[in-house]
Formats: sequence, structure tokens, C-alpha cells
Amino acid sequence: MGPTMRSLVLAELSKLRSLPEAAIAAVATVLLGSTIAAALAANDRNAYAGPVDAVLASVPFVQLGIILLGILSAAHEYAGGQIHTSLAAAPNRMRFLAAKSAAVALVVSFVSTLTVGAGLMVAAITRPSQSAMAASGGAVPSMLVGAVLYLALIGLLAFAVAILVRHLAPALVVMLVLVLIASPLVGAASEHARWLPDRAGGLLYLPDTDAVLSVATGAAVLLGWVVATWAAAAATFAARDA
Amino acid sequence: MIQFNSLSKRRGSQSVLSDVTFQAMPGRVTAFLGPNGAGKSTSLRILLGLDRPTTGTALVNGQPYNRLREPLRFVGSMLDGSGAHRSRTARHHLDWVARAGGIPQRRVNEVLEQVGLAGAGRTRVGKFSLGMGQRLGLAAALLGEPEALVLDEPVNGLDPEGIRWIRSLLRGHADAGGTVLLSSHLMAEVAEIADDLVVIAAGHVVAAGTIPQVTGGYSSLEDAFFGLTGGEEARR
Amino acid sequence: MRIGNYFLAEVGKSATLPAGWAGMAVALLGSLAITVLNAFAVRHAAVDGTPEMVAGTSAFEAGFAAMPIVGVVAAVVIGVTTIGSEYTADRAESGGARQITASLAAAPHRLSMFSAKALVVICFIVVAAAVAIPGNIALSQAIIGDVGTETVSTADAVGRSLGTTLYWVLMGLLAFSITALARSGVVPLIVLIANGSVVSFSLLLTLVTPLAHWLPDMAGRQLFGFPSELVVEGGLAPVPGAIVMAGWTVVMLVVSGIVFHRRDA
Repeated sequence: MGPTMRSLVLAELSKLRSLPEAAIAAVATVLLGSTIAAALAANDRNAYAGPVDAVLASVPFVQLGIILLGILSAAHEYAGGQIHTSLAAAPNRMRFLAAKSAAVALVVSFVSTLTVGAGLMVAAITRPSQSAMAASGGAVPSMLVGAVLYLALIGLLAFAVAILVRHLAPALVVMLVLVLIASPLVGAASEHARWLPDRAGGLLYLPDTDAVLSVATGAAVLLGWVVATWAAAAATFAARDA
Repeated sequence: MIQFNSLSKRRGSQSVLSDVTFQAMPGRVTAFLGPNGAGKSTSLRILLGLDRPTTGTALVNGQPYNRLREPLRFVGSMLDGSGAHRSRTARHHLDWVARAGGIPQRRVNEVLEQVGLAGAGRTRVGKFSLGMGQRLGLAAALLGEPEALVLDEPVNGLDPEGIRWIRSLLRGHADAGGTVLLSSHLMAEVAEIADDLVVIAAGHVVAAGTIPQVTGGYSSLEDAFFGLTGGEEARR
Repeated sequence: MRIGNYFLAEVGKSATLPAGWAGMAVALLGSLAITVLNAFAVRHAAVDGTPEMVAGTSAFEAGFAAMPIVGVVAAVVIGVTTIGSEYTADRAESGGARQITASLAAAPHRLSMFSAKALVVICFIVVAAAVAIPGNIALSQAIIGDVGTETVSTADAVGRSLGTTLYWVLMGLLAFSITALARSGVVPLIVLIANGSVVSFSLLLTLVTPLAHWLPDMAGRQLFGFPSELVVEGGLAPVPGAIVMAGWTVVMLVVSGIVFHRRDA
């Protein structure tokens, strides 16, 4: 059966911790999120009425860092021959992929929580004093939880895409096109854009409402994207030559 | 013991391996010899479960590699040099391999010492020379104190001292009852190290046996090699 | 003659690399899909007599809508891969072999090689633009036919197409320079593709300081020639904007060229 699941997850966490690119991506994500949230909160010319709104408005930017983190954790196996070492140590591919996915889920959830938390803190500090903390423009704090959930799921989607395509740059382009390009362009031309992962998942943290999807079903659609992509990645990963 | 039983592999319409059958026995150094592109690496990758055979099996102690309970304690392997990501330090690389293999962390220091990288543990793998990368790959192979060693072109890039060192390492491992399977295209090296030879050309095993058996009828191993592998044209 | 040989070698390198074609494919297939969606939406609105459902019924606008965003992705991908592929580690990487070593051995005059690569970026993008822009507009006209009302004059259409091509080329060269400086395509891919979308760092910066309108992508955006009611207010007019963007590009190319020339590969 091979090594225990616990030791495999710990090994994957250790891999991510000792990879400078991943550490830089994580730190950059937190800093980027905090900077944007602080700048939006400090700005009195715009509609970001409270710190919560400022944090939520930073999520589309923060997701770029989370996507990079998810992709790096998969694609770095294939930059050079590390995947051979990984599979020599954990020859059961499904267990290896399960352990890796669990480690990535932990890391992206942690970084997302940290980013949203740090963003909220600095936004509360930089907020001009005339409006109290409580003054929140339509955003409710539960949306912050939604934002963390959204970010973690998008990170896992990016990870699954990277397992599927094995290279960093193509995986990055696919994810960026999916969340940045496809949704506004398709959204302008067709109402079916609501089924795209970032649109459906966006209901978790955006004040928008949708005629068909609710917060829960929107989250379920995003989860469906993650599960389907992961399943495709797992099937491919199990079948092909490493 | 390592067994290859009627291994065949096709990629598209191209036949990479056909009916490869041989064994590597405990207590002996078995060299897998053949020109570039003959199928040596593919055979070893199939043994380690990295590539899928079209038909046939490759077994370690009677089991496929991916069924082994603690693979790193049975087989130490090295393919493609270091097998490490270039941005990671050597020590961090061995750290995660040990963790995944359920091997105590103290072994990391021991193998770094053993392969002569004790001073380079904090260096990033991307800064390593070819020979140092090779030594790191060997360190990972030795981590689990495995019974069998499977090494693809292990002397590649090593300096004369390194070659001498690996020779004594492999000899010692076999003399202590371990199994050693290595691939090479360097005949002089193989003649020095190996007890048994398996010669492969264009995906077929063309000769197998002890060195005297394989070289019988030829004046040298080199003549035997070119005679068996079809000479210059097979090298392309 | 040297630059000519280098140029042909670089064309060969890019043309034999799947990533080079990926850039082209993004431009052509991506824009195609969007144009089909757009054109059918416009056609239905026009036929049903509900033109208020769409922004307008111009076949040119429907075919052109994808150009700024999708085309910029393609330009950035072409710029990044042309130089980024040199720095990707070899699979068997004890010592981490990279193609740049072989490239510089074959073409030791670095500035010529750098210029040849930049030239390749320009050529690939111009070809992509020459196929994608007229192709999408023709497709849109074929789908919408006579039911729409064309609001864009031919002269405007040509001007905007040329402006868009210029924007793509400058964007591709910026991506190329940043990748050469960073020896990695990750940052330019993220920042430049994001900036071409609604999640734009430059746009965000304009909230903080009006100076952000002088950033290359903000300065050049009037080159697309969208009607003023459709774009974010402020910023530079098309011609000064193009000059500012071109200035950025030249500065970045010079800086990255000097760095490429001086540093250890």
C-alpha cells in the first residue's frame, strides 16, 4: 500500500514550504490583498463604503495570487525530474494525488484566510475616521467567509488544471483566461456566463444577485467545476506515463 | 531480486520494447548495456511504475513496485540525475523524500555525508554541477537503506574520484547481499563494475549472462557490444 | 547578414515550439468564439426588434469586441514564450540545463540575438492581427448581414484596426522585455493579462493617482477607438497615448537589452 497518508501529506506540505516560488507567491498574495484593501478603504472618492466592502473588492486581485500558488504546487513537479522522485517514494498515484490535493487545500485555505484577515485589519485602520467601522455599504461580514471559500476553491481548480496540463505557463494562461477574460466577454454576449466558475462562485462574496443561481447553488457550481476538473486530472494522471 | 517478464511497450505505432525478459539477482551487480535510445531508461521507468508497459510485468521481490509497502526501503532509484526541483536546497529535497518514505530525518545528514555533499546541503539544486546533481540523486536512492539499487547511468558526470567511489559503493552493496541494477552505455565502466550483463538493442534483449558468457567469441567487451547491437548503424 | 541569420533561426525556434502556436491559437479561436456569440446576440436582437438588448447593431463593433482583450492575451503569450522558453529547465536537469546556453553558443552576439527575437515577436503579432481582426469582422458581417445598422465608417474601421495592431505589438514587446529582465514569464503573464481585463492593476491605480493614466496600457487604450461612453473616463487622447506607450516600450526594450547583454546567462 505504501507510506501512510499522514506522512504523504506532511511530505507534500514540506515540499511547498521549501519551494521559494511558493513562499514568495503566498507572501505576495497577502501583501497584495492588504495593499489593495487598504488603498480602497482609504479612498473617499469611491463606493467602498466600509472595510468589508474594500476587502471584498480586493478578492478578484487576490485570486491571481491564489491561482499562481495552486498552479505552482502542481507544475513544479514537472519542471525537471522531481515527479520521478515523488512517484518513487509514493508509487500509488491516487494516494499521491490525494495527499497532494489535501496539502494544497490546506495551504490555499490558510493563505486565503490570512489574506482576507489581514486585508480586513488594514482596511479598518486606513478607513477615514468619519465613518464608523459598522458603516458597511451593503456587504455583510458573512461574505468574508464566502470570499475565503471562493479563493480556496479557485486555488484548487488551478491546481487541478495544472495537474492536467503539467506546465506552469499554459496552466496560468488557461486559468487567467477563464477567470479574467472569458467571464466578461461571454457575460456581455450570453446569459450562460453565469455557469462559469468565477461567475457562479462570485455569488459567494459579491453583492450581485443572479436570476437562476443562489449563493449556495453558485458555490455548488464552482465546486462542481473543481470536482470535474480534478476527476479529469486524476484519470489522466493515473493513466499516463509520468 | 528484480524480474522483467516479457515486457513490451509501444508508443503509437512505434515499438519501444519487445519481449524484454531478464533478472537482476541479489549479491550481484547487473549492468544493462545498450546504445542511446535502445530502451534502457524505458525499462527502468516501467520497473518503477513511471511508465506503463503495453504487456508484461516488471517485479521487485515478486511484486509490482507500486504494491510495495515501503518502496524506498526496498528499492533506491535514480533516473535523470538529481530528480529534485532546481529552486529547492539539497537538504530540503531529501527532507521531503524522507518524510514521504517514512524514513527518520537523521538519515538525511547521513546520506549527505555519505555522498560527499555534507557541505552543500544548503545550496539550491539549480546551482549544482552535473556531478553534484548525480550525487544528490544517489543520496535520495540511499535514504531508505534499500535492499536493491536501480540506477540509470549513475557515473554520468562524475569526476574520477566519484567514479571510484561509486564503484566501491555498488560492489560493497552487492557483496553485502543487495541487488544492483544499473544502466550504462560506457563499456569500460561496466567491465569494471558488473558481474552480469544484459545487452539491449532497439528494444530487444540480444544477450544476457555473466561477462565471460556474453563476451565469449569476441576479443573484448567493446567488440562484443558492437557485434551484438548491430554495430555502427544501430548507434545512428 | 548576422541579424538576418539570427532572425531566421529565431523564427524557426518559435515556430517549432508549441507555445508559439498556442499564442496564435488563443488569438484566433478565442476571438472566433466570442465573435460568434456576439454576432448571433446582435442578429437576434435586430430580427426580434429589440435592439435595446444589445449595445448596438453594428457588425464591426460585434466582430471587434473581442479584439482588445483576447488579442492582448495572444500578444502577451507570444512575447513571453519567445524569450521565456530559453529559460525553461531541461527535463534531465542535474545542473539545470537551459536552452539559453545553446542559443548563446550558436549566436554569441547577444544584442543581435535580442533584436532578432524582438523582431520575431513583432512579426508573429502582426500576422496574428492581420488574420484575426479582418477575419472576425468578416465573420460578424456574414452572421449579422443586412439586419444590423453599421455605425462605423470604413476609414474609422481601418484606423481602429491599425491602432489595435499597434497596441498588440507594443504589449507583446513589453511582455517580452519584462520576461527577459525577470528570466521568467510568470509575472508578465499575470500582470499584463490582468491589466487587459476588468481586474486591472493600472485601472485600480487610477483611483489612487491620476498619474496612473500614463502607464503604458492605460495610455494606449484609446487606440482601440471605442466610443467614449463605453470606456473609463480620463486619460490621454489616442495619438499622445500611443506615443507614451511606445516610449515605455522603447525604454523597457533598451533596459532589458542592456541587461541581457551584460549579465551571465
